[in-house]
Amino acid sequence: MTDISGTLAGSLPQRQRVDTERTAKLLFIVPAVIYLFCLSIIPFVYSVYLSLFQAKLTRLDRKFYVGLENYKDLLTDPTFLKSIQNTAFLTLSSIGIELILGFTFAKVFLSIRDMRAGQVLRSVAILPMMITPICVGLIFGYILNPTLGIANYLLSQVGVDPVTWFGDPAVALPTVIAINAWQWTPFMMLLMLAGLVSIPPSLYEAAELENAKWYHVARWIELPAIRDVILVGVILRVIDNLKLFDLVYVTTRGGPGDSTELITYFAYRQSFSFFQVGYGSAAAVIILLISIIVTTISVNYLRRLQND
Amino acid sequence: MTRRRSQYIALFAAAFIVLFFTLPILWMVMASFKTINDIYAIPPVWLPDFSYLENYVLLLTENWQFLRNSIIVTLGATVLCMCFALPAAFALVNFGFRGRHLLADWILSTRMMPPIAAAVPLFIVFNTVGMLDTLPTLIIVYAGFNLPFAIWVAMSFFRNIPKEIIEAARVEGCSWFQTFWIVALPLARSGIATVATFVFIFAWNELLLALFLTTREAKTFPVVISAFSTVTKTYWELISAATVIQILPPVIFTLLMQRHIVSGLTMGAVKH
Repeated sequence: MTDISGTLAGSLPQRQRVDTERTAKLLFIVPAVIYLFCLSIIPFVYSVYLSLFQAKLTRLDRKFYVGLENYKDLLTDPTFLKSIQNTAFLTLSSIGIELILGFTFAKVFLSIRDMRAGQVLRSVAILPMMITPICVGLIFGYILNPTLGIANYLLSQVGVDPVTWFGDPAVALPTVIAINAWQWTPFMMLLMLAGLVSIPPSLYEAAELENAKWYHVARWIELPAIRDVILVGVILRVIDNLKLFDLVYVTTRGGPGDSTELITYFAYRQSFSFFQVGYGSAAAVIILLISIIVTTISVNYLRRLQND
Repeated sequence: MTRRRSQYIALFAAAFIVLFFTLPILWMVMASFKTINDIYAIPPVWLPDFSYLENYVLLLTENWQFLRNSIIVTLGATVLCMCFALPAAFALVNFGFRGRHLLADWILSTRMMPPIAAAVPLFIVFNTVGMLDTLPTLIIVYAGFNLPFAIWVAMSFFRNIPKEIIEAARVEGCSWFQTFWIVALPLARSGIATVATFVFIFAWNELLLALFLTTREAKTFPVVISAFSTVTKTYWELISAATVIQILPPVIFTLLMQRHIVSGLTMGAVKH
């Protein structure tokens, strides 16, 4: 502000204009940045700080520093290790199912020539991903209920013994995965549809002339066209699955045993059921670290796609 | 001939897919019109008497307050979120300041962060200032957690406004605020409606944060619904009616604005 150009005749209003202009510009963006900073960065940093203490939520004035002890304990805590394993398994398998079913279903909708009918059917088919996750959990809790559920009734009609979908440690996680995949397959379907419609018909015609089989078409024409959208979908689904909480909260509560324990649910219970906020924060920080790794890899990529 | 037959097969397959995704939901809708006895009946009662509304009456007489909480919190959070997000998105698109890509990336990356990592600190802060279990707390938190999404998607809509229009407004003597308010907002209004709708649905569907930020008075509808299933008893007659009410807004919005859903849910990375 001490530069002498301001004292030269005629340039003072100019400089004032630049200043008010800068202030105006800052007013657009600064409030949002401060808001985000207070609501995410500061709490995250505080979580990291808390994770170095042994602390009880009910007696926060009496916390004491334990260094990395919480992290050491976590890495030897069988329930936590199981929750990591479950989350990884759930993420991989539900995304796998979503990709395969999503691609198949997208092909079906793509082949419908009647635009109106296609659009109506499609908008109904995507309902699951928009409805409240706890309601999805409860809808299937009702269908798969061991005593009044319709699933076991239908199975009994064809002579299959009743299945305790949420009660059997070997079945509970696959059940949760299936429900999760049911809810999010429409998302992958929509993404792939968006990619598939961009393929020019001439490519399909050329393939037909060459007598290409369907898997040739899939491998050499369709896959390259939807590679980008698939990546976007997978990134967002990985992030969402790391946060998955609602579904197990209303169906299995992590059980039976620790067979459906997921990392976010684990961290939540440590902090808000057992009040071990130091330990719970350490678990949350590990989730945060995984998220940061995935995010750093993917943010650049997402931005490039949006700008194109 | 074969072409027409393949069309029938395609339509048949599509109808099957639609049933696959809607029958589970419909089954719960049916349950909401059943008496308790019918809900527990084996073999199941396939079609209920749709004039039986006892479950809804029972649910709403006792829980109307929490449904109202949900509506207030969701609307409040949506408005608050848009107030902060729209100017920021406009700025990130139109002001060529240094480091704006970095800033945009940072904003996007906060969307990726797990809310559980902010849970304990938020609880402690709101507990200290005596704001636990109040609606403003939920509004502030929900608006904040949806801010990155709203900014990022709104950016993709502001980017569609031709630069010449913005420049013309500036040359005509509009301040940046006027350019934003009079020129950009009206031009991007359908996109803004999309963003607002998504924020509304995300806030409406949220459970985790509401679970520990509320205890009695400010409980939202999802929190109440999740409490209908206890260790000793599950109140299916209440759950079914509550589920129908809870999923009604997202269902209506989805049917109305499905054209925008892809670009919304992928933060503008994929356009339809």
